[in-house]
Amino acid sequence: MNKLINFKIDGISVEAQKGETILTVARKNGIYIPTMCYISKTSPCASCRMCVVEASGMDGFVLSCNTPPVEGVEITTNSDALNHERTNIMKLYDVNHPLECGVCDKSGECDLQNKTLEFNVSRQHFSAKDQLRPLKEWGLINYEPSLCILCEKCVHVCNEVIGDDAIEVKFGGYSSTIIPKNSQTLDCTFCGECIAVCPVGALTSSSFRYRANAWELEKVPATCAHCSGGCPLEYETRHASLNGADEIFRVKNNFEFSTLCGAGRFGFDFDNRASKDEAAFAKALEALKNAKAIRFSSMITNEEAYILELLKEKLGVKLFNEDARKFAEFMKSYSSLSGKLHHSGSTDAIRSSDAVVVIGSRIATDNPAVRYALTTASKHNGAKILYAHPLEDVLMQNVITQMMKHEVGTEEGVLALLADAILKDADLPQEERAFFDALDFGYLYAETNIGEEEFELMIRSFARATKRTLVIGNDLMAHPRASNIAKLAALIEKYSDFALVVVPREVNTLGVSLINSLDVDEDIADVVGYNAKGSFVISSLEGANLASPALNQQEGTFVSIDNQLLPTNVALAFDGYTLNDLANALGIAQEQTIDYTPKLPVSAGFKSVAFDDLQNFLSPLGEDRRGYILDEIVCEADGEIEELDDMPEFNGTIIYQCDPVLQFNSYTQKAEQLPKESFLRGSAQFGVAAKISDGDKVEISFGATKIQREFKLDSDLKGTIALNPTFDISIDASRYRFEKSKIVRVVS
Amino acid sequence: MHNEHIEEHFGNRNVVEMNSDYYMVAIEDYPKDGWEKFKRVVRRAFRGELFVGLWVVMREMIRFDIHTVQYPMEKMPIGPRYRAVHEMKRLWESDTERCIGCGLCEKICISNCIRIDTKIDENSRKEVSEYSINLGRCIFCGYCAEVCPELAITHGGEYENASDQREHFLTFQDMLTPLDTMKAGTQREFEGFGAITPHEDERVKKTPLAY
Repeated sequence: MNKLINFKIDGISVEAQKGETILTVARKNGIYIPTMCYISKTSPCASCRMCVVEASGMDGFVLSCNTPPVEGVEITTNSDALNHERTNIMKLYDVNHPLECGVCDKSGECDLQNKTLEFNVSRQHFSAKDQLRPLKEWGLINYEPSLCILCEKCVHVCNEVIGDDAIEVKFGGYSSTIIPKNSQTLDCTFCGECIAVCPVGALTSSSFRYRANAWELEKVPATCAHCSGGCPLEYETRHASLNGADEIFRVKNNFEFSTLCGAGRFGFDFDNRASKDEAAFAKALEALKNAKAIRFSSMITNEEAYILELLKEKLGVKLFNEDARKFAEFMKSYSSLSGKLHHSGSTDAIRSSDAVVVIGSRIATDNPAVRYALTTASKHNGAKILYAHPLEDVLMQNVITQMMKHEVGTEEGVLALLADAILKDADLPQEERAFFDALDFGYLYAETNIGEEEFELMIRSFARATKRTLVIGNDLMAHPRASNIAKLAALIEKYSDFALVVVPREVNTLGVSLINSLDVDEDIADVVGYNAKGSFVISSLEGANLASPALNQQEGTFVSIDNQLLPTNVALAFDGYTLNDLANALGIAQEQTIDYTPKLPVSAGFKSVAFDDLQNFLSPLGEDRRGYILDEIVCEADGEIEELDDMPEFNGTIIYQCDPVLQFNSYTQKAEQLPKESFLRGSAQFGVAAKISDGDKVEISFGATKIQREFKLDSDLKGTIALNPTFDISIDASRYRFEKSKIVRVVS
Repeated sequence: MHNEHIEEHFGNRNVVEMNSDYYMVAIEDYPKDGWEKFKRVVRRAFRGELFVGLWVVMREMIRFDIHTVQYPMEKMPIGPRYRAVHEMKRLWESDTERCIGCGLCEKICISNCIRIDTKIDENSRKEVSEYSINLGRCIFCGYCAEVCPELAITHGGEYENASDQREHFLTFQDMLTPLDTMKAGTQREFEGFGAITPHEDERVKKTPLAY
């Protein structure tokens, strides 16, 4: 039990928990202390010194941002001396700051503007010789050193939250600047979080530059539609050109508490423009009436998923969605042992953990939200992070404390060994204990290629941890042994203090898996595709027979990785027909798509709350007030752990289906700013093994699918596994991501 | 009763005390019933005011003492603060546009008739790529000129903007001072809303320079 520290701020009695600073306590109690460099999600930068306060019994001022209170201390946040000190700081910040507020991208939302006015600095009192500080163009990000106030927020965020560690301060007194770390130009994942946190217009989005001002843009609170992280964001819209329709100009986030990746921040222009095409609508109705099945992707809202479920009942069609079906099956196996419907962990749980196991995912690109949570855990809690995967990931190397490199296809064995190590001293029922006792350790160590000592190391490094989390990645959903893997994960969660996070692949894989009863995909005729392949395609992508709105043109809800139902809103209007219009024409009448929000199945944990009653914001103290967390549903635990199967062998060259940074799907592919490099990337060793060299055209075939790629050597990769992007091809989500494939050089 | 109310209203503003020229206008009481209303109608109808007016016109016509301005052959001079069709000024020093594309005029416009679009130009400066004012919507309130931080958009004296359609658009180039005018040095500064006050130079605080 933590002891509370009682003290006073401005005569008001307040309480602090261990680890809290004077500033955080003051903010909690609504007492204002001005800051310039403080950002809640990182450790204090302590560079601005605006947050100075007076403490009883202390000479001089103390920094409230990094000073914990002591029992009985009396803090004064406002006095003439403090005001004088703060005003002087502002005067110094304003020295030679270019007076270009009229054109600056930050004008209107600039901390420096606000504080300069707050402290009434109306003229420049000091002088310093100005110097030539030219604009730096770093791709998606521009850096204007003359506007920079060296608050160091960007550096702290990049290092402590993102994990790229790509920028640093070059110290040099008045000529200090921010520079790319160990590189001539910025070499990072371009999350753009540095742009978000920059209090002035020093770091800006290069595409947004001079296009609009803060006061012209309309803010639409929404949820990111690219991965299952469900990050909160705001689309900022305005008319484009004189008679143009509205466009999304940029995306912003509440950077104080939440984080966005580059796909969310720069990949916003995936909207679909269409008008009401009555002929296509009639054809779509006809196609639906004659359809044997509807195939759809998980990039839809819960409400649309529910409409599809109603259509299934009404029309007697099958529903195909392999991604969600695999996820649902995985979670079904999980539930059969854990006795509950949802996994227990969340990204918040990861963030506050001090020991995390990640298995079955190249997490940095699969789900950046999880990556940022891991980075935060590592930097702020000193978390031990074990990363079990056949491939090393350069992006994660600063964060991972133990890399457990295993053979491809042996995830079941790895998880069994992990479970065994974790549950060694747990009080297991007889059956489960018998399962572990019967494991053939010699065989498993040999096949997985992990030594016994690696598990011992893990147990030792995890020994002191108080909050632990197991992250199960997307590789395992489509693993041939997915069902038993899910049960092993359930065992760990049930009989140890590990929280479990299962990472869904798409934005609403989880929601769809809870709402729809899905059928096994068959290659049949008369399939209507909804954002997916079919003989008649209704889609928000190109090549559709009937256009439908993209996810930034719809209101509705998603279920995120945190089992949280998150509302999203219409950023741009859509003039065509929606799925609800089709449903209405087929006799499933409801005026709005969001009228289905309170009807989502309670049996899956949804609450009957109307869409308009859902909140969608973060409170000033950072509490998440978005949607709701799904209710925990208890179900029957009648499953049994099965014996392990023989480990498969993957020899020679292996291709791993894995998107590059900032790419997830056809929608991110549509986004103009995001890089669209679709090379097959592999190491030199892979090149030798596959008998191909840099720049060669190759044909890759998995099952019946054949695609052509250019091979590119990547010095960051090792071994004989190459990465094949999937954002620009439709990939069968039911197949294991390391699935055996053939690779042939195309001779031209 | 009415007078009481008015007295109280003005009393608060000290109008009576400050300026003795103020006086109460004698307003006849409102009719209270149908009969009084009828009496008022009759009184007004048979007063012959119509003929008074006709007589004045006839008298002036006979005298040939006509003060009417022969518009459009003759035009009245327009006051320097008159708010008619907008102008976009240039800088005296360089003849370049004053407009920096801040978009404040668009934001403040209460009839929503200004639209501006900006972009970054080849010299990395903010450039106005498109600008229009819909004179059909504009109510000539002068807010745009008042808010403009650069004295770029102002009102001019051109009030003849009759058009055969409601929508009537002005573009940036239409409003911009022609270069000939700049060369001749005859660009007129606007004295109305948003103009700098006299003796502004004396009040400007100069930034200390290190060299």
